[in-house]
Amino acid sequence: MSRDLRIAVIDKNPLRAAILEDGLRAAGHTGVVRIDDTADLLDRIRAIDPDVILIDLESPSRDVLEQMFKVSRSVARPVAMFVDRSDSAMIDAAIDAGISAYIVDGLRKDHVKPILDITISRFNAFAKLTKELEMAKSQLDDRKAIDRAKGLVMRAKAIPEEQAYALMRQVAMNENRKIAEVARSIITAAELLR
Amino acid sequence: MTRRLRIGYVPLTDAALLQVAKARHFAAARGVEIELVADSSWANIRDKLVAGHFDAAHILAPAAIAVSLGIGQVEAPLLAPVALGLNGNAITVSQALFETLRQEAQGDMADPRVTATALARIAARRRERGEAPVTFGHVFPFSSHHYQLRLWMRAGHADPDEDVRLVVVPPPLMVFTLRRGQLDGFCVGAPWNAVAVAAGAGTILHQGTDIVRDCPEKVLAFRAEWARSHGDDVRALTEAVGDASRWAVAPSNRDALVALLTLTVGQDVSARTMERALESPASPSGPARSATGLRLDEDAIKADPAQALWLYAQMVAAGQTVYSRVQAEAAAAVYAPALGPPISRPGTTPVAFDGPAFSPDDIPSYLAALGVGRPRS
Repeated sequence: MSRDLRIAVIDKNPLRAAILEDGLRAAGHTGVVRIDDTADLLDRIRAIDPDVILIDLESPSRDVLEQMFKVSRSVARPVAMFVDRSDSAMIDAAIDAGISAYIVDGLRKDHVKPILDITISRFNAFAKLTKELEMAKSQLDDRKAIDRAKGLVMRAKAIPEEQAYALMRQVAMNENRKIAEVARSIITAAELLR
Repeated sequence: MTRRLRIGYVPLTDAALLQVAKARHFAAARGVEIELVADSSWANIRDKLVAGHFDAAHILAPAAIAVSLGIGQVEAPLLAPVALGLNGNAITVSQALFETLRQEAQGDMADPRVTATALARIAARRRERGEAPVTFGHVFPFSSHHYQLRLWMRAGHADPDEDVRLVVVPPPLMVFTLRRGQLDGFCVGAPWNAVAVAAGAGTILHQGTDIVRDCPEKVLAFRAEWARSHGDDVRALTEAVGDASRWAVAPSNRDALVALLTLTVGQDVSARTMERALESPASPSGPARSATGLRLDEDAIKADPAQALWLYAQMVAAGQTVYSRVQAEAAAAVYAPALGPPISRPGTTPVAFDGPAFSPDDIPSYLAALGVGRPRS
């Protein structure tokens, strides 16, 4: 069995990088190093001398890695881009997930493909998680706004809670708006009139 | 029904004509709706264009040629029917290097030969003392910025591969890296030189036009196969770029253009900085030959194959590929003015301040005169 591959992960999102590192370790890759997206990126890479580099597509430092293509003194070993043209499904999946990979030339692609598969699935899982979190957060914000608006209506009209809520719901239905939008309008108006 | 085209771009001043084509509805008037998608690196732009995630892209002209020739791993034939402007780069150096250059310079600092000679001496001295090599940043291996640095350094007999270090740095990090002392200078487009000056981190040593007059920059590129099967869309979009060019050079639209670009670049760049990055409005006598800023006029957007050949020669000179006639022809064919807006005037050919004259018909002689391929002494 070949030695453990050294894998460098360039991602400014520490949580996502940790999730990826975790996934790679679970698959038996222990040599994972996270690199910050900083000005001395190439020096860091030279010091680590990785076999595989995984980079977040949002990082402008991708262009820094491009200069490793040419055989040069900037890195010890020539580097190739893993997503070669022959595998268009893999390219699509990698772009959609927002990642790219570079490998040292000569490394067998069947060794690298599982690593890229893990990366794509972890990046996608992270995106899904982020979306769900945002949705949950906005639902919570909606609920807070509705509660606050309800209180304002109760006080202004001296009516009980259920009636205040029913009133807001009626307005929302009549105006074809969400009740949370109506609630925010009430809060804005109340702040204006205070 | 109007077609919707996805166009990738890097938010720089020279994405101007695409921004204008959309915001002033020139594309819509030509029958295409365009969606402009900002991206963060040239590598992304290239990959997403090649993979079909973009229908067209604002891309470094030499990068489009490199992809078509299959230099630098990714290979896919591209076509550039229209350019998106000329010029706009500058070489900025740190305050420390500027001072050293001034002490070393024998002659007028405005003359790039004088500064290049001084730079070569400084680089040699640092090497003798075992200090860190003189390091300059540019934006991408296949970029005019890279080639402008090389042409400048060659004029002072500094070998860009042996005597100095050239590195890619993302433009938003350029000023920061200069200030940290990890760079001695850089060649970059607008607005980053002005940003470095405003931050007190550097001094603009030469305008890009001091090194290369009418230097090619970005082009609008398509996958060749897609362009052939979507001729009407390509025609509509490139003509909209032509419309945008006429609008952009009208002095009466100046303020609107600056406002639009300030929004596009969006990096805390003031309208004044943006204004300075652009070439002054066209004079009645036509675009000035002494133009130093970004040119967006009609002559500047003609995709003349001679420009592609000049860029190809620079790639060979930089050791990125080895000259062959087949490659040269393929490089020239990337520029496809026949698919672009009708421009009757002849296109421009870049002219470097130093070195042999370039003739698109005889690249081998040009390369030989540059000393390319000759063993290093």
